[in-house]
Amino acid sequence: MSIDIILFLGLAVVAILSAAGMLFSRNAIYSALFLIINFSAIAVYYLILGAPFIALTQITVYAGAIMVLFIFVIMLLGAEQTGRTPASWWMRPLGMGLGALLILESLYLIFTHLHSFPQPIEIIDGFGNPGQVGEILFDKYVLPFEIISLLLLVAMIGAIVLTKKKMKR
Amino acid sequence: MSAQVVTENVDLLEKFPQSVKQDDRAGYAGYIVSADHLLEVVRFIRDDMGFDYLASITGVDYLPNGLMEAVYHFYKTSGGPGLVIKTQVDREQAAIPSLVSLYPGADFQEREAWDLLGIRFDGHPDLRRILMWEGFAGHPLRKDWHEPYYEEEGKPYKSRWPEGKVYRREDKNPFHKNVDYPAGFDPDKWVPDDDSTLYASVNKISSAGGESGIKTDYVIVNMGPQHPSTHGVFRMVVALEGETIRALKPVMGYLHRNHEKIGERNTFLQNMPFTDRLDYLSSMSNNFGYALAVEKLMGIKPPERAEYLRVIMAEFTRISNHLFAIGSLLNDMGAYFTPMLYAIEERELILDIFEATAGSRIMCNYFRFGGVARDLPEGVEEKMRDLAFKRLPRKIDELDLYLTNNEIVKARGEGVGVLTPEQAIAYSASGPVLRASGVPYDIRRADPYSIYDRFDFDVAVRYHGDVYDRYLIRVDEMRQSVRIIQQALNGLPKGPIQEGKPQYLVRVPAGEAYGRVEAPKGELGFYVVSNGKANPWRYHVRAPSFVNITALETMAKGNKVADTVAILGSIDIVLGELDR
Amino acid sequence: MIMDWALLTEWTIKSLVLIFGLIGGFAYLTLFERKVLARFQVRIGPNRAGPHGILQPIADAIKLIFKEELIPAKADKIIFIVAPIITVIPALIILAVVPFGPDIRLFGRTITLYISDLNVAVLYIMSVTSISVYGIVLAGWSSNNKYATLGGIRSTAQMISYELALGLGFVGPILLSGSLSLVGIVDAQKNVWFFLYQPVGAFIFWVANLAEVNRAPFDMPEAEQELTAGYHTEYSGMKFALFFMAEYIKMIAVSAIAVTLFFGGYRGPLVDQFPVLGPLYFLIKVVAFLYLMVWVRATLPRIRYDRLMAFGWKLLFPISLGNVLLTAVGIGLVGITGNNLWLWFIPVSTILFFLLVSHFAQGAVAGGNK
Repeated sequence: MSIDIILFLGLAVVAILSAAGMLFSRNAIYSALFLIINFSAIAVYYLILGAPFIALTQITVYAGAIMVLFIFVIMLLGAEQTGRTPASWWMRPLGMGLGALLILESLYLIFTHLHSFPQPIEIIDGFGNPGQVGEILFDKYVLPFEIISLLLLVAMIGAIVLTKKKMKR
Repeated sequence: MSAQVVTENVDLLEKFPQSVKQDDRAGYAGYIVSADHLLEVVRFIRDDMGFDYLASITGVDYLPNGLMEAVYHFYKTSGGPGLVIKTQVDREQAAIPSLVSLYPGADFQEREAWDLLGIRFDGHPDLRRILMWEGFAGHPLRKDWHEPYYEEEGKPYKSRWPEGKVYRREDKNPFHKNVDYPAGFDPDKWVPDDDSTLYASVNKISSAGGESGIKTDYVIVNMGPQHPSTHGVFRMVVALEGETIRALKPVMGYLHRNHEKIGERNTFLQNMPFTDRLDYLSSMSNNFGYALAVEKLMGIKPPERAEYLRVIMAEFTRISNHLFAIGSLLNDMGAYFTPMLYAIEERELILDIFEATAGSRIMCNYFRFGGVARDLPEGVEEKMRDLAFKRLPRKIDELDLYLTNNEIVKARGEGVGVLTPEQAIAYSASGPVLRASGVPYDIRRADPYSIYDRFDFDVAVRYHGDVYDRYLIRVDEMRQSVRIIQQALNGLPKGPIQEGKPQYLVRVPAGEAYGRVEAPKGELGFYVVSNGKANPWRYHVRAPSFVNITALETMAKGNKVADTVAILGSIDIVLGELDR
Repeated sequence: MIMDWALLTEWTIKSLVLIFGLIGGFAYLTLFERKVLARFQVRIGPNRAGPHGILQPIADAIKLIFKEELIPAKADKIIFIVAPIITVIPALIILAVVPFGPDIRLFGRTITLYISDLNVAVLYIMSVTSISVYGIVLAGWSSNNKYATLGGIRSTAQMISYELALGLGFVGPILLSGSLSLVGIVDAQKNVWFFLYQPVGAFIFWVANLAEVNRAPFDMPEAEQELTAGYHTEYSGMKFALFFMAEYIKMIAVSAIAVTLFFGGYRGPLVDQFPVLGPLYFLIKVVAFLYLMVWVRATLPRIRYDRLMAFGWKLLFPISLGNVLLTAVGIGLVGITGNNLWLWFIPVSTILFFLLVSHFAQGAVAGGNK
């Protein structure tokens, strides 16, 4: 077994355990922390795949910015102390059903396409470095990029408008 | 000579012939108002006679007559002599209408009178103990309340030197054996008070809802008693919405030692060093107030040189206190000790002068009835001149230069903790707090004592009533103090420093007197009642820190946590005086 | 995989030197700060332990190690213990991408004076600084103490406000050098330090840095006068020392980064001839910046928390955005005209922009209460 595989498996364990921990821990702060570990594990995957730019962006944006806001909100609202919200009767069976469906689907895909996985593509020189990401983002995908930024702007303005309205009441 | 607060106003007797009568006891002044009509009479005093400033409320327990008397001192912020009224009730069922509705500044003083003397003030919104803890048995300033090591009413205790041998009472009667528990009290089963009444009063206010109309939870935070910025063991219970203060209740008494009870056991002169311990940053001013009160009772005046020395010392005290106040205010704003250390550099030199003259740097114990303890040693006058003419003006300019226009000092101070002039008067605020709110009321000018009428100085006033103005006013006042010191040094006469021979056991005729001085922190008043014996019958301190803190909640509401600390710093409290 | 043992040894030694250098630097930075503060405050400062107090940090360390460790009964134990560690690690690893000097030849090999020349080094710094806030937040939360929680909340809010200005401060040097690698950025400053092209950028970067490392006047999370000690109120002994350590190592780190981005890193006269001078220049520059930090602490009172947010969002953020825009315009002008003199358009225009914005934003930031 090469060192890459060992690394891969180890990370997989960390990622899955942290994801499970996020789901099952009662304390919202613990959930958030498990999610951060999960994000970091995935960032290391990007690193293994030779995309340091995306790896570090993942950490900065998700672990560094978004989760800080999450924790900020949890701490401000004191949400870590609230007990379990009572689930409706249909929630549990529905969740189980959907979960089972997802597992079946994945198993089907894995076993039917076992021999037809796409071959690893040749990594070109400078793959995933900031320059290349930038070029692709602002050249080939410039329209989606701009649309996304507009969407975010709209969301931001919406948030401001909503809070302002509440303040006036 | 009787108390100074004789008033020319006779219309009070004409207006209320049934409920007001002249206080005609020997050595007493003012009027006695019946408790039933107190509110009516006080409203007349405030609205029609113009006595808008309620300086002091206290009580006296006249045990032999079975009477409990509440004493009120009113003044006009436009200046002039004051008005004193009293209300006498049966000491077993002492209940008097509260004045909080007319003078919000009566709040803490009435609570203190309730706590220590057991006078119930009907209509007081929050009549809890203030200096003692909830659950304390009895009211310690009542004459029939005896402390654990009680021996006799007044010092010198005869038991301390039987056959010339000195020993302490505690040696004979060791600790634990002498403690009297109230009937039915078992210390092992005692559960400390959980402050439920205190938190209830905070919750009542904070549940009124936020400004934004959004229903939010409040966080109750105890700032203190162990907190770096409360200037000692002072505690503020604050209700926070985010970081905004919605309600604040000061809790005090952690340093309470019942100064006044000790004062009533002491002889008159023994109290002089005790006053040092009130506001331990400005002991000379404390001495001054007490000496004035007792001198009024005795009807003596100190000689010229002593008066000059008193003024010089009091003004140096004011400067040293304000230097310290500005330094610690800047510390509270988060400046890391640099302004503090710059400010107290000169304070050390002032303390050197105190040490050379009085023998001690902080606890000076310098004033005597009818004079001062010691004359200036050789060379001290030159040091004083050097300070007053060279170093202090330079230091004040330096502080002014570095701090006054600092962006952050301005941002932290301007518009923070505003007290309007009307509020300041109503809350009985005094000293820099009052004058920073635009009320030009300085006892040195409004009701001059000692020889302050001879000096040329301005009453510093600022008009915004915020933290920044309370900083500025201290700078202004230091400048004025320097002017007074300069004039006093130039006019310092030669001569004796003590009227008559210094005496250990002074004879004080029966009567009452209220001696008040413009201490650095505000109006410091001593209400002394003598029954002609060696010990004062009543010894009350109207402490400026204590009364000024009444307005703290008003100032702090709506501001941030960080501002509270700055506001408290700008009031400039000293716990020795606040808790007494 | 063939291991180059020599290379591995070199990396290990370099890492160890860096880590121990930082820890030692931390120890003596505390002494440096106390001495300098004392001088500012007309005092002498520590002078009892050893000549001129040089053994003071050792005495402090011994004291802190042997102090009793208290864990509050209602604290979240695991997080309470982990939080100081989470705080220290980012501080220690952040300098891995900073070059301390030019390549030197030793024992017949070329040794680079940096641990790694990442091609996304700037992003690496960003991500490490962004996760370093967790230690503080978790310490505040796990202590189960209201002061500590307030400190933790303050630090998150502060970090979100300042990370943006900090990130945009990086963009200037990146645009000028065309590289995300710190080695590349230092090489690009061979002739002119970026400080001269980016005065506003450097200033904003420095202010945001002060906020990032919670130094006065932005030391909200631990504001002594308000929150007793903020997030580390409940910490004692070695755990407290770790927070202390993290703060001071971060000071060194951000100073080193500022030097690298704007002040030519290890560059200085005669460095190319005598590579040993590189680390020396670097050290001098870093110490100068540390001195600046102490100076600011000795001089300024603390800004209020809400004002700080207003300052970050309403002043620093727009200015740094404008700075990026004008820098890009300047570089574009150079590209169009081919004349390098157009680079001087950047400082002139950014300073004008800075004055303009700060003039108009003053009311919004400073006079909020009036």
